[in-house]
This record gives sequence, C-alpha cells and structure tokens, in this order.
Amino acid sequence: MNRRKLLSLLGMSPALLAESRAAAQQKSASKAAAPDAGQGKITAVNPKGTPPPITLIPMAPRLDTLDGKTVYLVDTGFHGSDMLLHQVEAWFGRNMPNVTVVFRRKAGPYAEDDPKLWKEIKEKGNAVIMAVGH
Amino acid sequence: MGIPSAPMITKAFKDLAILNAAKRGMPHERICFTPHPVWGKTPDELRVYVDGPDPVSGKPLMKEIVDALTVPLSDDEKKSGIVSVSVGPPTFTDTADNLQEFYLNNGYTDFLPIILPTQEKVDAMLKGTGHKPDEVVGKMAAGAYPAWSYTVRQVAASAVMAGCRPEYFPIVLAIASSGVASLFSSTNSFAFAMIINGPIRDKLEFNYGIGALGPFAQPNATIGRAWTLMSKNLGNGGIPGDTYLGSLGNNLNYNNVVIAENEDASPWPPFHVQRGFKKEENVVSLFRGLGVVPGQVARGSSANENVQFDYQMSDLFSTFTGFFGALIIADPLVAIRLKEQGYDTKEKLIAWLYKNTTQTVKDYKSRNYAYLFEYPQALQGREPFATWYKLPDDAVIPHFPRPESFNIVVTGGQTNAYPQAGNLSYGVSVSIDKWM
Repeated sequence: MNRRKLLSLLGMSPALLAESRAAAQQKSASKAAAPDAGQGKITAVNPKGTPPPITLIPMAPRLDTLDGKTVYLVDTGFHGSDMLLHQVEAWFGRNMPNVTVVFRRKAGPYAEDDPKLWKEIKEKGNAVIMAVGH
Repeated sequence: MGIPSAPMITKAFKDLAILNAAKRGMPHERICFTPHPVWGKTPDELRVYVDGPDPVSGKPLMKEIVDALTVPLSDDEKKSGIVSVSVGPPTFTDTADNLQEFYLNNGYTDFLPIILPTQEKVDAMLKGTGHKPDEVVGKMAAGAYPAWSYTVRQVAASAVMAGCRPEYFPIVLAIASSGVASLFSSTNSFAFAMIINGPIRDKLEFNYGIGALGPFAQPNATIGRAWTLMSKNLGNGGIPGDTYLGSLGNNLNYNNVVIAENEDASPWPPFHVQRGFKKEENVVSLFRGLGVVPGQVARGSSANENVQFDYQMSDLFSTFTGFFGALIIADPLVAIRLKEQGYDTKEKLIAWLYKNTTQTVKDYKSRNYAYLFEYPQALQGREPFATWYKLPDDAVIPHFPRPESFNIVVTGGQTNAYPQAGNLSYGVSVSIDKWM
C-alpha cells in the first residue's frame, strides 16, 4: 500500500489529502445501504473514540552534502541493529571516506528517550541514521 | 533535534513506520527500508542488505539514505500546523443486516456478531452509571502511539456491542478509566487478564465456581469482550500492521482472561485486599503478559504422591519469560492444601517461589527479553540487572527480578486440585464503585 493510501486510512483531513477517511466511510455506508426486503432502517452510533489532532512538525533542513560532515549512527537496541549499522559504517568507509561516522547505542530499552545522546548529536553531529525495528 | 535524520526500518514494519511517523507529525518522513529480518543475520548477509536495494522503493538503499539526508525538502515536508483526524460521522443508518456487515468491514468488531449500538441501547447502557454521558473517562493507546480519548457515551457503545447488561457498565467504565488496552502492538502477541473482587461478583452472578475461566456466565463473557472492543474502538488498537504486530496473535484476546475470585473458598485474603482495598469494595485488577498454561503436568502430580504444588509451580515458572510475572490461578483445593503445607499466607508462598525458581546467568543472558529490555537497564546501573550482568555465567540467580513478580488468585469449583498459571504481570487495580 502506498503512503497516500496509508495516510488516508489514518483519517487525516483534506488539508493534506484529497479524500478523508470520513468521506470514504460515508460513501461506504451508503454503498452498504442496499436494504434487504422487509428490513426497516435503523440508526446505530459510531463506536470510535476521539483521536488527538496531529501537530505537523516541519522536517529539519537537509545538508548540501555529507562530505566533511559527521553522521551519527544510532542503534536503538533491537537485535542486530548494531551489526547492521557497522555495515553502514563500513559502506561509508568504502564509498564516502570524507564522512566522519560515529556509532552510538541509545541508552535504555528501545522505547525510552535518550536526551543526553540527542544533545551530544546536536552539538557534534550534522546528521543521524537510526536503526532498526527488528 | 533540528538535524536531518534517516530512520532505517525493516520492510515488515513499513505501514507501522509510515503511520506512526504521520501520527507524530511527520507524514512525509523519509523512511528507508531494509529487508526483513535483521535479527539472526551474519555480517556478510547484512552487507548484502546494505549494498542492495530498499525493498520498498527498489532504489539502492545507501543512495536512498544519502538522499534522505541531502535532497532539499519539498513544500509538504516543510508544513506546520494542526491537522484534524476524522473517525467518520456520529451515526450510521441502514438495515440491521447491512449495519452488522458495515461494522465488521470497518474494523469495529472482533469479527463475531455484535449487538448493534442503537441510540436506545446506548441510552439504556448509560443508565447503568451515575456519571454523565459526556464525561471524559480517559485515554488509551495500544502501544507507543498518541492516545485517543473517550467519554462515558463512547464507552457505552462498545459495552452494548459486547453484549453487556447495563448493570455491568461500572466495571466496563473502570477498565476504560485505567487506559490499559487489551490489544497491544508488540510482535509478542500479548494476552490480558482481569481479576474481579468484591460483592459485585455475586450481585452480577459472575461465575467463580465450576468452569470459572470458561464460557459459562454472561458477565465473565461479555465484560472481557468489551475490553477488547474498547481497545479497538476507543484506543485504535488491533489494526494489523499498524497498531497490532503480534506475529501469531493470541486467542485469549477475544474476551481476555476474566477471573472472578472465589473469595469465600479461599484460605487467604482476596486479591484486592492485598492491594490495599477493603473487602467490601468492588475492584477490577488488570494484568498483561503472554498467556495461561495448565499446571497439572509437573512434579509431584501423580495420583499416589503427596502433591508438591510449590515445586510444581516452580517447575512451571522456570519456563516462563521473567520479563513478565507469574500469576498463580489456584483452585480452592490447591490453595487449601498449600495452606495445610505451611503456606499460611500468600507472601510466604511467594517468598519460597522467588527463592527457588532460579536460572544460571548464562541462560539468563541468552534470553531475548534480557538482551532487549534488561541489558540496557544493566548498563544504566538499574538493579537487579546491573548485578546479574556482572556475575559469572555459572552463578545461579532468581528467574524473576523481584518477589512482586508473583501474584496469586483463587477461583474454581473444587472438582479437583488443579492450578493454572499465567505468564502475566500485575498492572493496576481500579475501583468499580467509583463508576456506579
């Protein structure tokens, strides 16, 4: 499924998308409304809860080039992430040797924040590659 | 951070990664994908991943990563502001058959027939509580997602759909107020359980006798089901690939493990009293873990032996993941026998189990959950993991990190002395009376 279709499933409003989930649901409901003989129509409530609005975060400006820059490789702690990132590190060594690569394992279990590391990266790094989910 | 980033995710989590980034404000985040899995691959195999294509886009993976960090942003990627999220119109009108189909096709159900939440039925459910229909009950998320909120009225819809009677509604509201979803995103396929304590067990005719854990009473069946429907509808859980990733799934998720404690037949204080409530209070206590297993097949269970339930349980628990706890679900005959054998309090039995359910450090370190969750804590100096990781491989350590990992509940009909056990951790106890 492509990104646009996925995001429409999320129900994001037409400000970002051509068609919202709500509109799709209304269409779907009326499509399902071919009444069976002898059955009257009834009304039932929508059982869904209330999702929070989404605050869009502008993405950070990109770099002109990685040449001469410092890229942090951040291991989330999932099995094999460190080995994968060491292969990424080796790739930079072979293909973009002017890039300084710094490997770090994020502190704590994977779902925990690591503000100390984010501070270090902000002070000393130019970009981040983070891996990986399983 | 204000620094360009390129997240790498394995292909199996494509939808999750895109949708979760969107929910957190970056619907166009430049996510790069590797083949799946990474776990268990050799360095040479991972080099092939890195030198090869992104399996989603088909482009060379490392070129995609470099581009993610260097290609200028599009207008969409620079957007800020608030975006509303719609869940559709407040009501749907159609024939009953078509509405059943519509609710099923839109993921509102557990794929079993439901009671349609008509306005009349929802209004009747609302009479089961003194709380106002528009009162906000709480927030729920099925994992590391932004939580959804819900009102008493919205909870009532799921309670109706599950087949609850209005008098069950305070228990459903108490569960909803906990914010604990019974469908969790983990790939582990979690299971959930609840213990019901207090006079409400008799008032609503919960079954805590013969077949206590089976499909033999309406409150046991429908309140557990309501938890799962709430988790889907109020917490947006249970969407495979998005908010649910359990590889195998879990059959217990249909109505969860509902345990009304057999308080009168138990030789020990009931569970909620252990948690600081009074005996006459009505309380629901929630658990999370991996499932429930039988306890009949372990040591000392032959007909001619003096059954050693303590050893039997310890054997069983040594096969559990220590990341979750151990919930002993004891028939009253088991509990009474244990008391006769000297365990006059639950605490005494728990102390024995904690001390005698052990493992070697080598075995502990080889466990998946230890590496993923406890090794990082050991590095931060958190106990007991920091000490455990410093010990030699042949050192013997407890199988569970602390005595509080064990819990005991008594239920069942005393037709035989059989225990069951959940690899389940205690989460929270919530007053039902507050939602009357």
